[in-house]
Amino acid sequence: MSEVDMAVIKPEMMKSYIWLQTADGSIQQVEQEVAMFCPMICHEVIQKGMGSSKNYAISLPQRVNPAMLSLILDYCRFHQVPGRSNKERKSFDEKFIRMDTKRLCELTSAADSLQLKPLVDLTSRALARIIEGKSPEEIREIFHLPDDLTEEEKLEPLKNTTDDPRIRLLNRLYAKKRKELKERQKLKNIEVEEERVDDRSVDDLLSFINGDNGDSKGIKNSKSKKKNRRRKDQQKNTSANEAIKNHNKEPNGLNQVCCSAEVGQTVRAGVGATSNLHDVEDDIFDNKNELDDGDIDDEIDPALKEKIDREVEDFARRLNSDWPERMQEILSFGHERKPVHFSLNGNDSLRRYANSEQR
Amino acid sequence: MRNRKAINTNNEDITNILPEECISYILSLTSPADVCRSKLVSPVFRSAADSDTIWGKFLPSDYYDIISNASSSSSSKLLTSSMSKTQLYFHLCKNPIIIDNGTMSFGLDKATGKKCYMLGARRLSISWANTPRYWRWKRVPESRFSEVAELKEVWWLDVKGTIETKILSPNTPYVAYLVYKFSSSRYGFEKKPVDLHVELGESDAGRTFRIFLDPSANIPQFSREREDGWMEVKLGEFFNEHGDDGKATCSLREVDNYTPKKGLIIEGIDIRPKDSR
Repeated sequence: MSEVDMAVIKPEMMKSYIWLQTADGSIQQVEQEVAMFCPMICHEVIQKGMGSSKNYAISLPQRVNPAMLSLILDYCRFHQVPGRSNKERKSFDEKFIRMDTKRLCELTSAADSLQLKPLVDLTSRALARIIEGKSPEEIREIFHLPDDLTEEEKLEPLKNTTDDPRIRLLNRLYAKKRKELKERQKLKNIEVEEERVDDRSVDDLLSFINGDNGDSKGIKNSKSKKKNRRRKDQQKNTSANEAIKNHNKEPNGLNQVCCSAEVGQTVRAGVGATSNLHDVEDDIFDNKNELDDGDIDDEIDPALKEKIDREVEDFARRLNSDWPERMQEILSFGHERKPVHFSLNGNDSLRRYANSEQR
Repeated sequence: MRNRKAINTNNEDITNILPEECISYILSLTSPADVCRSKLVSPVFRSAADSDTIWGKFLPSDYYDIISNASSSSSSKLLTSSMSKTQLYFHLCKNPIIIDNGTMSFGLDKATGKKCYMLGARRLSISWANTPRYWRWKRVPESRFSEVAELKEVWWLDVKGTIETKILSPNTPYVAYLVYKFSSSRYGFEKKPVDLHVELGESDAGRTFRIFLDPSANIPQFSREREDGWMEVKLGEFFNEHGDDGKATCSLREVDNYTPKKGLIIEGIDIRPKDSR
């Protein structure tokens, strides 16, 4: 070889490559500066010394298939060059993300697993723009999702993820209300009964609450479910936050917020002992049968069910939206206008003084 | 585990492709309204939409400072320390908190997360309001503020409220409403129209509308009933860009000295983003 050839070859030989292996087993080598643009690869090389040869190829996460890797490397190859202007980069990005939705999702996932944040941002924003303003039905179509939320899930109050016993009780209260409504439907005497149901729900809630000194200040929120279940020894008051969410069917999919989520106020609870909790449960449910959500529909004549279902859903929705407000009225703190006082006398029964402003 | 109607082996389904955290991140780049809608898409979307990081992003960046200013220290402590960001967001949408020594309330517009304020009657400049012969201050249970202003009788009716644009959400069109009701013995508002006016900063002349606040049967009614039982009438609108336009001034006036007016009860001036409910 002439000297010129050698001079040409040398810089090539000085370039280092990183070896990468995708989940399907195929291995390839990539220019170092390109591959190192990915934090995950960078970490593997520096911290673990991997990638220097075929035998020590870096195993890429499963979410990175060869096609996605190729796209990602194109992205890295362009952006790792320091000299480019912002305008150039932006222009490249805009062209780069022009692909079908499914590929965009795969690319987001792959970039996320390689911790390549700028690309995750780019693809996520593109997907966000696709989602914006669309109805749930349209979103399902775009992403080929089955419509597998049950009717109940679409309408029922969302269960609190910490599985707070108060939330469960509250949900059972809802279930009870729905059942009552159905029974009243049968009697065809709705108007009057709604008032009574409302009142009872307030009373139920009040019997729900017992506390040391009846003082509505100094409420602490319990974040751990274990705290609520701990028995006996607990001296302090804990209180529970409820998130009660309500779903409405979207009428025409445009500019409608179809979900209103309410937040119940903190409920001061007598603490700790599970026996305490059972007493409270008994107080709330007048009749002896404990309600499971599944029991509701048993008694209803199938012929009436359709109509009643719709009206119950409507009532549940209204209840969901009214209920936290009423809870708040009762339990409001720092507002002078609706004080409600409780006192616990010696033998544990609850006396209540309240300004009467029921609806 | 819930039973799904079909086992999801669909290769196209993105919830098999994207982990939930990625979906949450994507949702956080949309809007509160979009996130709420997405809860109806699928179980995975529903779960992703509840992420606290999403709603933390939708809260105004200075929410902590605003809440700390809440009139009742116990309530502000409760809000900031005990609620998750998600709960806090929805709480502020439904339950405006009283701030600034009880003169103002603060809340959020649910669909956008933008800030809403109501100036209480005590914070407004009402001519003659401190003269008991003309105006009376009283407590009413249905007001969020400790006092509302009731007009006994006046010839010169001039109600004005101002708000600093820097406390409002940027890049937002805002509308101002007078929140009021009439007592049973009202007079004058069916005879004489009132002037409603909003202007922005020093240089803006603003716009004035003239309407009957208590129109008789064949005259259009511009007021409407609010959810909290009060009435509201639109005073005007303005666009807040960067919050550096100084003050927005909103007013209602009827200063024709020949017509006595009485029976107007004012709770305050509500300032919220346009097209919010």
